Order: sequence, then structure tokens, then C-alpha cells
Amino acid sequence: MAVTSSRLDQNPQVVERTKTLAFQQNRGRNILLTLGTGLICILALWFLTGLGSAKLSQALALFAIWGVATVSLNLINGTLGILSLGHHGFMLIGGYTTALLILSDDARQRILDSGRSAMTETTVGLSVSNLFSSIGLGALTGDGSLWLRFLVAIFLGGVVAAIAGLIVGIPSLRLRGDYLAIVTFGFGEIIRLSASTRIFAPLTNGALGFAGVPSEFGKSVWWTFGFLAFTLFIISKLKYSSYGRAMESIREDEIASEAMGINLAYHKVLGFVISAFFAGIAGGLWVSWLGNARLDNFLFTLTFFFLVAISAGGTGSITGVLVGTALVIFVRQYGDPLEEIYAISRWLEFIGIILIIAGAAFLLFRSFNRSGKRLPNWAIWLFTASLFILLLGSPVFPGINLGKIGLYVFLIPFVIMPFLPNVGDKTKGVGWVVYALLGAGILTLLIGGISPGAGWLTGTFRGFGMRGIALAILLIVIMIFRPSGIVGRHEFTWSWLFREKLDEPTEEERKQDAWLTNPELNRAGGAANLEGSSEEGI
Amino acid sequence: MAMLEVKNISKSFGGLKAMNDVSISVGQGEIVSVIGPNGAGKTTLFNLITGVYTPDTGDIKFEGSSIAGKKPNQIVDLGVARTFQNLRLFMNMTILENVLVSQHHKLKSNWLSALLRTPGYLAQEKAMREYAVEKLAFFGPRLQSFRLHQPVFVLSYANRRRTEMARAMATGAKLLLLDEPSAGMNPKETREITQIIRRMRDQGGYTILLVEHKMNLVGEISDRVVVLDYGQKIAEGSYQDVVNDPTVIEAYLGKKAEGKEETEVQKAAKMDGRTI
Ligand SMILES: Nc1ncnc2c1ncn2[C@@H]1O[C@H](COP(=O)(O)OP(=O)(O)O)[C@@H](O)[C@H]1O
Ligand SMILES: [Mg+2]
Repeated sequence: MAVTSSRLDQNPQVVERTKTLAFQQNRGRNILLTLGTGLICILALWFLTGLGSAKLSQALALFAIWGVATVSLNLINGTLGILSLGHHGFMLIGGYTTALLILSDDARQRILDSGRSAMTETTVGLSVSNLFSSIGLGALTGDGSLWLRFLVAIFLGGVVAAIAGLIVGIPSLRLRGDYLAIVTFGFGEIIRLSASTRIFAPLTNGALGFAGVPSEFGKSVWWTFGFLAFTLFIISKLKYSSYGRAMESIREDEIASEAMGINLAYHKVLGFVISAFFAGIAGGLWVSWLGNARLDNFLFTLTFFFLVAISAGGTGSITGVLVGTALVIFVRQYGDPLEEIYAISRWLEFIGIILIIAGAAFLLFRSFNRSGKRLPNWAIWLFTASLFILLLGSPVFPGINLGKIGLYVFLIPFVIMPFLPNVGDKTKGVGWVVYALLGAGILTLLIGGISPGAGWLTGTFRGFGMRGIALAILLIVIMIFRPSGIVGRHEFTWSWLFREKLDEPTEEERKQDAWLTNPELNRAGGAANLEGSSEEGI
Repeated sequence: MAMLEVKNISKSFGGLKAMNDVSISVGQGEIVSVIGPNGAGKTTLFNLITGVYTPDTGDIKFEGSSIAGKKPNQIVDLGVARTFQNLRLFMNMTILENVLVSQHHKLKSNWLSALLRTPGYLAQEKAMREYAVEKLAFFGPRLQSFRLHQPVFVLSYANRRRTEMARAMATGAKLLLLDEPSAGMNPKETREITQIIRRMRDQGGYTILLVEHKMNLVGEISDRVVVLDYGQKIAEGSYQDVVNDPTVIEAYLGKKAEGKEETEVQKAAKMDGRTI
């Protein structure tokens, strides 16, 4: 049988390009760029801390701390593809270990004196200072070397958490999916609950916890970002190594992964251990940020917020996780105006604006495509800009009264919409959802606007827990419009920035490839179809 | 001594005897085809050899040592790799990554040196990439160049099949088990894959055990053909002998008579995801 051998023959140009594309390129350039960016980040941090806003510095430090936690949780959830719900447990272990090891002598004495503590002389004596003294490094126990003791303590905290990760990793070998998620959740809760039992109380000081943890590290932008940089370095190097690929293959298809020689048990446990180590580090920074170690700072809600950050940003993508974390931290740290007391009419205006924004978003991203109408780019930019102005004018930032201007700018796209030409032949109108949302929004806004003058609805209302609600709404919106998160699976890479399009054919290849894959171009007359009928059966 | 010796293996799923006292041997450098009607137990045979299932009775020997009861990844270490009938690629990973993952088990660096990119690790990484390109080259230009960096989910069905074969080859296995390598391919692509399989043996040095439905492919490349029906081996020999064997003809024609029902059952089983 004659075979068209040309289709298997190597084309020298293709071979040449394969040789370059198969290997990492521009490594030197990328390292330089990364270092340069690091420098720019340092300058930016220096500038931001220089602004002297304590609130901003706190938010930045918290972003870095939670970043360590989310990036490490993402190693299990995103890279290994295992839903783990026990991250707060690992953080607790790391946090308490760090706290116990660096607690000041005063604080230790107070614990002993209180008489209510379950801690013993021995457990109170567990400190890095004593460790240093016992190995002849007594010189390092002074105040000046607290930073060194903190480093040792937080490292040991990470190690203890990693050991716990090893123990949780083992059931992960037998279980899959939801069952495993429940086990990890249970483990996280067991860690928290057993910390206050009589067995562990001598180590954790039971329900009292530790007060007076030195907070100069967790509150410092430099320390926290230093740890974040370390975490990013390790986790991204792991992700782009052969081990990272093996872990991703487990996420993609466990059976295939094992059939290709991957030792599932080893790689899952490795992932759990590394992730738990960094969770422990995050826990150490967290107790330092808080200034104390108490059990109610390690509730499941912590893991929940990490998961929100991960799914909002993009599960599996380190870049995405950082974006998601920034979002969550922004709402958490700057959302407090949402929880204050406002007149009901003010709330109504706010709700009205939210409804209108939701309706508009629907209109823009859904119905426009469906109706075949597409806003010109400038209108989309205008819309986005007006959203910001609206936000600034809303009760979130009561000082700035730009609300009305924003509203007018915001309305422009809607006014011009009927006059836009139809693109494509789909002529279906906008959905009822949009009308309902816009209608309800405008109505609420009107009532809110009229009521103070008319003397209706004179009460006030405190938006308790409003931050959480805002975050939840944000998550819902993201999940509706971008189910895989803001960034999706993509990563920020230099190659992406320079538009290196490694996965696109050259002009030459495009011609050849069309010939290879397009059935129209390589159909061998009708003979192929005839043969096809004799293919099956015996 | 044969490279692979399957000795009297049986396997039941509940009441169903999917494999009943089957013995097969494959010699070094041979291409052996397993044929049989749907549900005959061909994929089950592959699952037993590759460690997805453990045989209830009997033994499987590869290069003289028993592999029955070993884990799939241990069997890959020994030198047996497979492709899947229903394709099990790492969909969100690129072609290159797919073919690199299957070499990971040969990596000698531990995770820490991989993470720190020690010279030893970098040398192995480079060698792995060269090996990947070498294996992908078996399939002509179409899995090369820019395609290296395309995620598998954008590939055509035929290219996915080819990628899966390249991935199995890259494990460094000596024996490849190909489960319906030409499924879903048009006649032209089937002829090409026939040629590639022969090249895999002649130039790549692989020994091949394959399951196939397309008889012209089987007839063209098989040194030997084994016929399974209802979990039993009903014939073995050269292609000519086997297709003229009255038991074989009956097995196929008998199936044809009740044909529709069988395929429905088969489809249902596939939708359950039970056939791997
Ligand atoms: N894991 C399993 N559980 C139950 N039945 C199975 C399982 N795997 C295969 N079978 C059954 O074993 C029989 C043989 O299946 P299979 O080996 O896939 O056939 P084929 O020869 O078409 O590849 C079928 O009846 C199938 O339903
Ligand atoms: Mg099958």
C-alpha cells in the first residue's frame, strides 16, 4: 500500500524551530527582568510606606501574610487538584509554635503567676532563648537579636506544621474528591479543638492563648514581603520543575498520571508537606501581626477567605492567587465604612447603585453579545471609569460626593446604545434580567433620594457583616462572568509580556499545517471514502 | 524467553468473568495484536498487565519477574507503558509537558535539587526535552515546533492520539500497549499510523502489543494475532489463520446478530466511565 510518506518527513525549518522551542529561552533576560522587578517592588514599597499611612502599611503587610497562605494553599488546591480545607489548622500549628518560642520572659512569668494556666515550668521554658543558651549561644538571647530568634522560631513553626502536613497527607492517598475535602476540614478543626484540651493546653495555654507576641515582624512590610518573596520563589520554582509538572498531571488525570510512572503517594504527600510548611510560616507572621495567639483567630473562616481569594483570582495560577488575595484584603481592610451606621435612605441609594451596576454589567457582557450589538471600546472605558467614580461617590467613601457626576457618565452608554449599528445577524433584545435589575435599581435610588425630603424612612441602619456580603457578591459576579477566576489558569510570564507567542505557527508553518490538518486540503479524491466502508468488520 | 508472559490469568467483576484463564506471550521485537468483539475483555487485559487491576488468579511476568499486583507506576519503571482507548491526556498541559511528565519517573534529582535547579537537574531536564522531541518526531512535523507549546485541548482528535503514543514512548518503556491506536482516525490517518507503529518497532526498538478493530491495520503489521471473546482466548496465530478460523468467524457473526444490544451496553459502560 502506498503511503504518502511526505507527511511524516521532517521539514528542516520545523526541526530547527522545534530545537529552539523545546528548550527554555532567554533565561538570562528573564532573570534580569525578575531581579529588576524585585527592585521596583522594593522602591514601590519604600514609597508606599513613606506615605506614613499606618492603615496602608497594615494592609500591605496583611496582603503579604495572606499571600504566603494562599499561594501555599494553591499548591494543593490548584496544582495538585486536591480540595483541602484544613489550611487554618496548619497555620495554627505554625502560629502557636512561633508564639511559644519567642514570647518575652515577662509574658512567660505572667502566665506562671496567673495560676489559671495549664502550662508547666517545662513548657513555659520552651523558647529559642533557652535553646540558644543550651547550645552555648547565650550571647544571642538579648533584645538586639530578637529578629534572629524570630527567624528560628518561625522556621521551626513551619517544620512542625510540615510534620502535620505529612500526617494529613497520608489519608489523602486513599481518598478522593469530596471525601478528602471533608477529612482535611475535619483535621483543621481537630487541630483547633484539641489545642484547648488538657493534653495540649500545657503547650498552647489552652483557651487563654498567648498575649504579647512581638508584633514588629508581622506588622513590618519588609519582613512580610520578604517571606512572601521567599514563598513565591520556592513555589514557582517547584511549579516549573519536573516535580511541578508531575503534580499538575495528578490534577489533570490521576489514573493517567500513575500509568505514566508518577508515584501518586509521594507527590501528594510532598505537596501537602511543602504547603503546610508555608502555612506554618504564614501562621507565625499572622500571630505576630495580631500580637497574640488565640484560637478564635484560626477559625475555618480563614481558610474560607483563602479559598475565595484563590477562586476569584484563578485556581492554579500564582499570579491569579495574588490578585485574588489583593482583592480580599482590600475589602477586608478598606471595607469598614460598609459596616458603619448610615441613614436608611443612604443605604437605599447604595443598594440602588449596586443594582444598576449589576444590570449594566449584564447588559455589557452578556446581552450585548447576544443582541449582536457591541459597544465601541471608548464606551466600555467610559463605563469602567464611571464605575470607579460611582464607587468613590458611594457610601464607601462618604467624603467624596462624585456620585451624581458618575451617574451621568455612567448613563451615556445606555443613551447611545439604541443608535449603535447591529453587528452580526442576531437581533435578540436585552434580557428581562437587565430590565429588572435596572428598574429595581433606579426605583431604589429614587426612593432613597426622595425619602429624606419627604420625611420617610428616617431610621438608621448598621451594616454589620456587610464586608462579608460585599465579598460574597463580588465572588458571585466573578464566578458568573469568569468561572475560572480573573486570571484563569494563566500566569504572568516575561514571554507573555513580550508577546513571544510560542504556540503560534510562523507564516511558513501555517501553510504547511493547513495542509496537514485541513481535510479539505488533503482529501485523496473519493477513494478514501470508499476504503472507509471496508475498514470495519472482519 | 518471552518478554511478556501472561499465564492463565482470570479476573471477575462481581458475577462477570471479564478475563478467564487467558495466556499470552509476547517476544522481544514482536508486534502482537489482540482482537475481539466489543466487551471481549481486551482493555481489561491491558488494565491487568499495567497494574490497574490485579488478576484474581494467574501470573504476569515481564522479563522474567512477576508484575502481577505491582502498582501501575512500578510497572512503568520496569518498562511497560500504555495508551488508553478513551484518551487520558493531561488536557490543560502542553504537548511538550505531557511528554515530559512521562519521563519524570526516570529523574534522579530529588525535589530540592530540582527546585534549586542544580547543574545535575538542569542537565537531566535538557536531556528530557531532547528525548521528548525525539519521540514526537516519530509523528512527523505535526507535533513539533509551535505545537510543543499548545495545550492538548486545542488539538485535533488524531493529534491527541499521536500525543498519547509519544507520551507512552517517552516513558522509556520497552513494551508498549496500544489500546485502539487508530480509533477515530480516517483511512488515510490509519494508514499513516500503521506505518508509524512499524517504525516504532523497527527504529524505536519497541515491542508492541496492540488492540485494534481495523482489520487492515492488524493484517498489515501483526506478527501474531490473539482473539478474545467473552474473556477467553479463542484463537491465536498468524493473521491469515485467525481470520479463517471458524470459531473466530462465529464469534464475530454471532455478535453481529445481537449487535445493537451489545454496543448499547458498551456505550452505557463507557458513559459510566467504567472502561478505562
Ligand atoms: N471496572 C469494571 N467493573 C465492572 N465491569 C467491568 C470493569 N471493567 C470492565 N468491565 C467489563 O468487562 C467486560 C470487558 O470489558 P473491556 O475489557 O473494556 O472490553 P473490550 O474488549 O471492548 O475492551 C465488559 O463487559 C465490561 O463491562
Ligand atoms: Mg476496549
